[in-house]
Amino acid sequence: MHAGTGTTHDAHDVHDHIHPAPEGFIRKYVFSLDHKVIGFQYFFTGVFLLLIAGSFAELVRLQLTKPEGAIMSHNAYNEMFTMHGTAMVWMVLIPLVTGAIGNFVMPLQIGARDVAFPWLNMASFWILPVAALILFSSMLFGGPHAGWTEYPPISLADGTAGALWCMAIFVIGISSTMTGLNFMVTVMKMRAPGMTWTRMPLFVWATFATALMNMIATVALSAAVGALFLAHVFNVPFFDAARGGSPVLFEHMFWFYSHPAVYIFIIPAFGVISEVLPTFARKPIFGYKMIAFSSMAISILAFTVWAHHMFPSGLAPWLQLPFMILTYAIGIPTGIKVFSWMATLWGGRIHYTTAMLYAMGFLITFTFGGITGIFLASVPVDLHMHGTYFVVGHFHYVVAGGAVMGFLAAIPYWYPKATGRLMSERIGQLSFWLFFWGLNGTFLPMHWLGLEGMPRRYASYIDFAKANPDAQFWNQFETVASFLMVASFALLVFNLLWSIKHGKIAGINPWGARTLEWTISSPPPYYNFKKLPHVYGRPYDFDQPLPYANTDNELDQYPEYGKVLMPIPTPAPVGAGA
Amino acid sequence: MAQTQSPNPKVVRVKGLGRGFWPVTALLTVLSLACAWYFLFGSIDWIMPGASQPVADRASDVDGLFKFMAVFGTAILIYVAGYVIYFGIEFRARPTDPPDLVGVPIHDSPKLELWWTILPTLLLAALTALSINVWYKIQFGVGAPALTMEVVGHQFYFEYRYPGLKTSVFSKTEPMHLPAGVPVRILITSADVIHQFWVPEIRLKQAAVPGLVQNLNYTPLRPGTYDIACSEYCGSDHSLMQGQLIIEPVAAFNKWLDNKEKAAATAGGTVNLANGSAAAGKATYSQKCAACHSDPPAPFDQKLVGPGLLHITDDPAHPALVTGKPPTPANIADILQNGFTGPIGTMPNRQANALSDKDVADLVAYLVSLK
Repeated sequence: MHAGTGTTHDAHDVHDHIHPAPEGFIRKYVFSLDHKVIGFQYFFTGVFLLLIAGSFAELVRLQLTKPEGAIMSHNAYNEMFTMHGTAMVWMVLIPLVTGAIGNFVMPLQIGARDVAFPWLNMASFWILPVAALILFSSMLFGGPHAGWTEYPPISLADGTAGALWCMAIFVIGISSTMTGLNFMVTVMKMRAPGMTWTRMPLFVWATFATALMNMIATVALSAAVGALFLAHVFNVPFFDAARGGSPVLFEHMFWFYSHPAVYIFIIPAFGVISEVLPTFARKPIFGYKMIAFSSMAISILAFTVWAHHMFPSGLAPWLQLPFMILTYAIGIPTGIKVFSWMATLWGGRIHYTTAMLYAMGFLITFTFGGITGIFLASVPVDLHMHGTYFVVGHFHYVVAGGAVMGFLAAIPYWYPKATGRLMSERIGQLSFWLFFWGLNGTFLPMHWLGLEGMPRRYASYIDFAKANPDAQFWNQFETVASFLMVASFALLVFNLLWSIKHGKIAGINPWGARTLEWTISSPPPYYNFKKLPHVYGRPYDFDQPLPYANTDNELDQYPEYGKVLMPIPTPAPVGAGA
Repeated sequence: MAQTQSPNPKVVRVKGLGRGFWPVTALLTVLSLACAWYFLFGSIDWIMPGASQPVADRASDVDGLFKFMAVFGTAILIYVAGYVIYFGIEFRARPTDPPDLVGVPIHDSPKLELWWTILPTLLLAALTALSINVWYKIQFGVGAPALTMEVVGHQFYFEYRYPGLKTSVFSKTEPMHLPAGVPVRILITSADVIHQFWVPEIRLKQAAVPGLVQNLNYTPLRPGTYDIACSEYCGSDHSLMQGQLIIEPVAAFNKWLDNKEKAAATAGGTVNLANGSAAAGKATYSQKCAACHSDPPAPFDQKLVGPGLLHITDDPAHPALVTGKPPTPANIADILQNGFTGPIGTMPNRQANALSDKDVADLVAYLVSLK
């Protein structure tokens, strides 16, 4: 917090100074530096882009209802799966789990009034719409076609569209790096007095582990897409074998980022699950330290496994072994987490809210995705599975069954804190069951289709369908199931809008949860905490009194505090970001 | 749900590990064993094609590893999902609960945590040993190859080169052949972008990377016809980059190779260009050349994959063909027949493009007519 110019009313709380709350729609919701409002901005942008990228996925699924391709040309199909993957990874998932949920929740949970660098935070957000505009404008130039991985040399055939793709990813990478740095400093320096590392809520641990990866790994991605951009525009032969370059070089640089990227969006979901499970099982999280440290272990190991994406792609044979063993090793901390969550349910008193259903669904679908990951880590088995539909099934179980499930658990859990009203449980639980069965119906058959011989990124599968008569049935089955997920998202959007007006009033703590954000009013005031709370215990002891002091949020009770200094809203970061 | 914190919340009482814990555990164990039995002794051909009768020696090794992981992976999934569902039912909140009832306040159990760290570690250590064993067989376990051949990836076909055969075999027009029962080495590279050479029944795949020669070593075992697929995205018609592999007894393979050699020796003669029809050539051009060359033909610099072919015989900026030879009908026919590889790119030969003698004559007549 800034050492401001206001009058000090209390010698012990030099942090508390004067500034009025921002007024007017523009200052409050557009040019706000408030981490909560920036979280909303990320949320609306991310969900909007999710609906676009999701509709691309539906076009992809519709195309595959016939072996020869049902609705579009090969080129259009290739563009659709490329845009789906790119938008989902960089414009939807990372902004939603770190930008939206991380921004809104993390500072509240550590008892801070904002992130360490609000100005930087706002600039990070405003990069997102710019990057999304650049990415989608590439479709006006023919669109990128080479998949979200954009391997050269084939991606170099995309011309201007490929160069725009590189620009969009480079730009969003800057945003990720800045957010990582910002959250890192916030968690390290701005925790409330008494909140030691092992008293932090697990979502904060997850945000911290994610910030570490965001800050370090994204630079490698920038180098990769920067080099690819130069290859596009200036014909620099980084990746041209005929002129001394190497196409495999790009794959190394790309996966050095993109493997940690998977953890960048799964670890915040781990954090959400670790909050939701103890709250609704009404008992302490099982193995707090193991869950917290395994997040850190995963974020460090994540940097050592990238070449498992490249076993048959030109990796020296002896190099395959260390990457295989390290990838197996990452299964150990992940297993510890899953077993600890499972044990958290034991002996609990489980309340079935929408958030809890998503968290328990997550335990099943994410475990499945984790186990198929071990199959792919094994070099000999990967030589069969690499590049097939099995891989598509695996990572959708991890991403949709893991990261998106976690995100969908976070929405009903923190919606009352953000808006002051509860979401409709009836609509929420219906949308959970639609999503759960839609997800399994869409992605489970992909596993055997892949093993039988269906490669990924196929706009048609004529020969494969001839050899495997059930191929068309399962593809149609997946398409039908995928529309259950569409219905689920339609209900979610309806629920989000309907509940703003018609939801039940939430009060300060509708769930009986125990982290700091549930000690202040819903929605929280713009400065979050009138007085900085003091923490003297662990967050999940449901049989104990709350371990906080100084949490009384009644403004009028402490007239001596006056108003609280917050940064003045300014449009400047918009320019900086854009 | 409790909205406020009660000063002395009531703690739920659990007998033992919960009602029905051991019967549920027994049920999950039986389920896991049933799945294990299925993977080990049942027919899994429907997910792993050719599992019961291996098509190549390495296929059974890979399948063995797959079964090991399937057995333990399924068991882990059954226990996790089973306990989540069981705990969810057994420990659900009841309408009769007092509002401040909380769960058992345990934070951890070092013994339990030690076990669920050690057991997966041991399991993964065993898996590592098995994986390395199969990996070693794949890399070094094949004897001196009886046949070393080359596969070159092109957009969007595979080119197969056999020793002693002057012309290549192309996946668009002909299947690849391999002898059964002897070790083969397949060297794999690419002429343009990255492809992948995959025969699902053989299990192994390898990328065709420009500038890099990789290899696959195995002994084909079971004669038959199998599909070949490109499994790395390589452009618009990636999904049409398919081929077939015929594995046949050594004698049949040698006979096929001999016939190919003889055919190559008698072919390759000059085509009689005198009867070429420019009108027929125009139709053939649209059908067979337009994927890579502008149609209608454009000036040289308007390149698609290959250069524009307008004024091929009278372009002052390009007095010679890409082969460096003067643009005579015979030299144009030479490119059409034998293909061309140079800095500008690669053009497949007549076998790859499936051009008959008449097609060549018609195309030459058409191209010469474009003055």
